[in-house]
Amino acid sequence: MAISMHKWPLRLLVIIAIIVVGVFGMRTLKQEPLYHSQSYVFGTLVDISIYGETEDRAKFFANKILQDFQNLHNQLHAWKPASNNQPSELGVLNAAFANGKKPIEISPQLANMLTDATALSVRSQGLFNPAIGHLIGTWGFQRDEFSAINIDDTKIKALVKANPRMTDIVIKDNTAYSNNPEVKLDLGGYAKGYALDIAATYLREQKVKNALINIGGNIIAIGKHGDMPWRVGIQHPRKPAAIATLDLADGWAIGTSGDYQRYFMLDSKRYCHIIDPRDGYPVQHTQAVTVLIPPQKNAGVLSDVASKPIFIAAAQDKAKTAAMLGIQYFMMIDAHSNIFVSKALMDKLDWLDPEVKNNSHVKLVTLP
Amino acid sequence: MLSLLHSPKPTFRHLLIGDWFTIISCAIIIVFLFQTLWSHEHAAKVQIRIGDKIYAAYDLNQQRDIILHGPIGDAVIHIEQGKVRFVKSPCHNQYCVHQGWLVHSGQVAICLPNQISLELIGKQKPYDSLNY
Amino acid sequence: MQIQTNIDDHRIAKLAAFAIALHMVEAVVPSPLPGVKPGIANIVTLYVLLQYDFATAAWVSILRVFASSLLMGLFMSPTFALSLSGALVSLSVLWVAQYLPKRYFSVITLSILAAFAHIAGQLIMVRLWLIPHASVAYLIPIFSVAALFFGLINGLITARLLYNKAQKPEPDITEPKPG
Repeated sequence: MAISMHKWPLRLLVIIAIIVVGVFGMRTLKQEPLYHSQSYVFGTLVDISIYGETEDRAKFFANKILQDFQNLHNQLHAWKPASNNQPSELGVLNAAFANGKKPIEISPQLANMLTDATALSVRSQGLFNPAIGHLIGTWGFQRDEFSAINIDDTKIKALVKANPRMTDIVIKDNTAYSNNPEVKLDLGGYAKGYALDIAATYLREQKVKNALINIGGNIIAIGKHGDMPWRVGIQHPRKPAAIATLDLADGWAIGTSGDYQRYFMLDSKRYCHIIDPRDGYPVQHTQAVTVLIPPQKNAGVLSDVASKPIFIAAAQDKAKTAAMLGIQYFMMIDAHSNIFVSKALMDKLDWLDPEVKNNSHVKLVTLP
Repeated sequence: MLSLLHSPKPTFRHLLIGDWFTIISCAIIIVFLFQTLWSHEHAAKVQIRIGDKIYAAYDLNQQRDIILHGPIGDAVIHIEQGKVRFVKSPCHNQYCVHQGWLVHSGQVAICLPNQISLELIGKQKPYDSLNY
Repeated sequence: MQIQTNIDDHRIAKLAAFAIALHMVEAVVPSPLPGVKPGIANIVTLYVLLQYDFATAAWVSILRVFASSLLMGLFMSPTFALSLSGALVSLSVLWVAQYLPKRYFSVITLSILAAFAHIAGQLIMVRLWLIPHASVAYLIPIFSVAALFFGLINGLITARLLYNKAQKPEPDITEPKPG
């Protein structure tokens, strides 16, 4: 007992106990100023987290975002009328396109969206093509509940041959017409991203410092979750779990296109809602493409749009397509569950899936 | 041994510096064990949302079926020793049923048509939101 | 015929009997959490290790496991397997730990290490043999807390027993009276 500590052992033990209990207690007792809401708007799940605001204020903002989203949806829905006998603005426009080249008036907001979408479509060399509404309808995806269809190859070939493109649309002084009557707009791959940008802009205007908005899987981050960055999981295309997680810093957005989101099975083949405008058939070589977008004005839109052309492009063209769109951070999972990740995104990912963690399914891709 | 009970001398005087070292190391190891084994390992509860409301949270350490009344009909979920899944759903595509078992905290199964979501919640959430 | 027994045999037998008694008391007292037990019989093992030597402690410990399972009719049962694996791993750790410098590490460290080794041995047995597919990982932190807590308490009790012994050396109960 040479160095026995007669004077202070008990006190020390008590102090240690208090610290340990205190740390654990603080963690559990400390109510996080985190507001979280989930709502279904037109078949889409809107999930909003707001950190560091009073509950009343947070609730108010969340409701406002939901309302905006609902209005946007009413305006842009490709197959649902805004109300009985009252087609959506997009529905009216599509009807006008089919009827010939007579310009009709559209809202400035829609005009801006169409101009923007056209620019992105051109940039993706037509792989992002919101003008193929007829094809999407033919495959049965313009319904809330869809089933396996009888594939009408003749009709599909005809629709591809008609070659509807965004550049067929002429927009001038808030009017629009189409040079091609086969153009039918479906902004399904654009609207959610656009809604994200609107919501983020709104929250920043309201001086909300920290929020995470998830509209149908596309996410944009504002600020942080307390002292930690917001953390998001990326869905595994074939498991009910996340494949990886990553930190989403202020202003960053993430989006995934997956063949598991809307699909039907026919003769044990999967037909997903992402259709290659070049042959009119659903893409079958890819399970999922995720893109991460650094802060910029239309980060939300890019997170929604940019994954589609990469999804549609053939394996050997995927990296080139990403580069074309200025996307540095991307991950793709092919039909055999091989994972390809750009170096930039790889550095940010924390793999969660044990199978991926342990073996070499993951390949690095370099941008051309 | 009974003499212990009425011994006036403080018992902790027997602790040597190495003993303190042992105790503190063990305490650190225990905290570490809690953090690693209880973080995104098995979830403790399933939180059920119907529409935009939290409907209920159930402990996962049980075996039972729960019937949920969604907007388009009744769905059945099954809880079984630490995991949960949709068993029956009135929705058309049955994506929620095909999701299968949810085991780890943070995992979600969503039935969009019926507006029901299941989320496993554990000690720590591995992420704030899911990109899908 | 009579088996020749010596002083060592008597000593081991008496200490083992004491350990068995403690073991059985513990077996009867219900535990709030299944598997979490104070392990007061370890006090005897530790006491013997410090007062005599490792070999005697090992004998006492193993005799205790066999005898109490026989007495409770649990010989060769899973409970017995758990006790034995716990005791064996615990003893191997003690065998190493006894060489720790006594200047800095008292019996309390030995007790805590033995308690951790005990649960480690039991969990290994559970994982390898009893329920190989069950995930026991999430139980480890709980068992570890129990090991630290009861290891400390048992260590303190043993330390006090040894201290008392050193202060007023009574005639050892394990020594046969001369005469």
